Amino acid sequence: MNQIFKLKISEAKLLRDMANAISILIDEATFKIDEEGLKLRAMDPSRVAMIDFEWPKTIFEEYECVSPSKICINISELLKLLRRAGKSEAVNLSLDEKTGQLQIVVTGKYKRSFTMPTLEAVEEEVPTPKIDFNVKAKTTTQGLSQAIDDAQLVSDHVRIEADSDKLLFIASGDLMGAKITLQKGSETLLDLETKEASKATFSLSYLSEIIKAASATSEIATLEFSTDMPIRIDFQQAKQGKLIFFLAPRIETD
Amino acid sequence: MRVFADLHIHSRYSRATSPRMNLKEIAYYAQLKGLNLVGSGDFTHPKWFNQIKEILIADPNTNLYKVNGAIENSVQFMLTTEVCTLFNFKNSIKKIHHVIFAPNLEVITQINSALEKYGNLNSDGRPILKISCVDLVEKIMDVSKDNLIFPAHIWTPWFGILGAFSGFNNIEDCYQDMIKYIYAIESGLSSDPPMNWRLSNLDKFTLLSNSDCHSFWPWRIGREANVFDLEKLSYREIIGAIKDKPAQKLKFTIETDPGYGKYHWTGHRNCKISLSPKQAKRFNNICPVCRKKLTKGVEQRVDELADQPINRKPKNAPSFLRLLPLSNIITEVLNVGSPSTQAVWKIYSELIRNFHNEYFVLIEAPRDDLLKIVDFPIANAILKVREGDFEVIPGFDGVYGQLVLDTDTKKIKLPRSKVSQTNIHDFNKIE
Repeated sequence: MNQIFKLKISEAKLLRDMANAISILIDEATFKIDEEGLKLRAMDPSRVAMIDFEWPKTIFEEYECVSPSKICINISELLKLLRRAGKSEAVNLSLDEKTGQLQIVVTGKYKRSFTMPTLEAVEEEVPTPKIDFNVKAKTTTQGLSQAIDDAQLVSDHVRIEADSDKLLFIASGDLMGAKITLQKGSETLLDLETKEASKATFSLSYLSEIIKAASATSEIATLEFSTDMPIRIDFQQAKQGKLIFFLAPRIETD
Repeated sequence: MRVFADLHIHSRYSRATSPRMNLKEIAYYAQLKGLNLVGSGDFTHPKWFNQIKEILIADPNTNLYKVNGAIENSVQFMLTTEVCTLFNFKNSIKKIHHVIFAPNLEVITQINSALEKYGNLNSDGRPILKISCVDLVEKIMDVSKDNLIFPAHIWTPWFGILGAFSGFNNIEDCYQDMIKYIYAIESGLSSDPPMNWRLSNLDKFTLLSNSDCHSFWPWRIGREANVFDLEKLSYREIIGAIKDKPAQKLKFTIETDPGYGKYHWTGHRNCKISLSPKQAKRFNNICPVCRKKLTKGVEQRVDELADQPINRKPKNAPSFLRLLPLSNIITEVLNVGSPSTQAVWKIYSELIRNFHNEYFVLIEAPRDDLLKIVDFPIANAILKVREGDFEVIPGFDGVYGQLVLDTDTKKIKLPRSKVSQTNIHDFNKIE
């Protein structure tokens, strides 16, 4: 059997959490795979958000890529299979050149082997937005997640504001309002660099799902934003992995 | 003679209609509006058909009907109905609405007898029939060649023949060899003649405009209508005017602004998202709030199928008059929530008492005469609508559009949501 690549990851949880984070935005994900590692950059169908993901080969216990290629898979289907795996079970992924089938082998107390079809890969290269960010805030993902949960109680969107010493999450609904303050140097806001006070409003449905899913892969998130520009949220990954989301703002009309 | 005709309405036996939608009330409000011909609606419904037989009296010379004993009401009825066909076409389910005109009660009895095999006529004033459009036309025309059938509100997303969700890309695909009997199409509230003129394959059809109203209130009945110039008002003359488009007996149609219709723009009602065709395409027709497929609006659907430029008018096409219901104009000026409030009715009734009907107020009443009856803001608003000096925040996904009269100050009231979503493509400084 000719295999284009063969990858082994020692803990199924790592792969499952990452697939879950990707599935928040993307149904059919086109990955680039080469001798350096696995990459994905894509926008969600409504083009409101973008994911920029990278796992270098050092993340994997075994990594072999015969020739650089693109592979498109249905992430929800992959997740269904990965949910059957125990946290610490090993997962092997390989692509059969002849059949185009992805083989997923879960090895633990016993061995399970699944196959799934690959889809037509998207050829379009998606660039990331180039933005001059005026605010850079490093937070714990737990604190960030809680701030978003608080805001979601009252509205479907949140304004994120920053000055030199604090980061604010302000939500106002038809009847109720919420203001969450993260002070620089607190347990939640680990660092804050502000070139210029800035504010931008974002959909809580997107933010909440992104942060919840990505928090399973990371304890630290770095938010970068400027007034009425997309926010960049970088979820710190082990071994030089990369999981970054961009989310376009909502513009307030009055 | 000039005939103002609203030929597609519903009875109280259709879903989501006013329980007071009976023939006497319809005749009363049609007269207030200025209509002299109105469709009976729902003749396929046995109970409504009985009421038609009991309450209306036929003029055998014209095949039109009047409320028996209504001396002061000159409104005439034409026998009309709407049906929904449900059928499978090339592995997809099609749901298409059609309007049917018939000349007399005997013909209706035969039509109903032919149609009851395909659905429960008792269930709804607009029954769902499990029959293809081709077979429906064949059945209707087999009963009488004097009948007329045409597709209703052709652009609405779910039930229009050209609608985005279960429609066709052209009328011929739907009716096939029965196309020879199709002389008209109905534009529906969310499209106007210029939008339909963008498709050259619609040129051959007479474009009708009707209210499709579910209540008789004057902000519903006659909000769209057809204005004919006929030798004599009769069923045969009306059908002849529709069939013989070049004779130009259909002088013009009365149109609301297409933005006033409930499906003009693309959007999601629950997500408070309303998008122009251009914006919707930028979001890939996916809702930026719930991330599900957007309800594609009529303007976007027309854009997709159009083969002609904007501002093109085909030969022999009747003109049109863009109006809005008088009650809505008064509501907007008074800044009250609903046209059914007493304050609105008071002014409306005063105008009707002096000018006899609403169309006269909207189309012809001189400025100075209006000012003798109502305050300047109301008179001014009527004149502004007459001159087309108004804007409408487009309707979307079942939400009516909103009239905006204060265009002088350009204070357009906006979107129901105070925030609008951008997308990544809006930030084009990319690396």
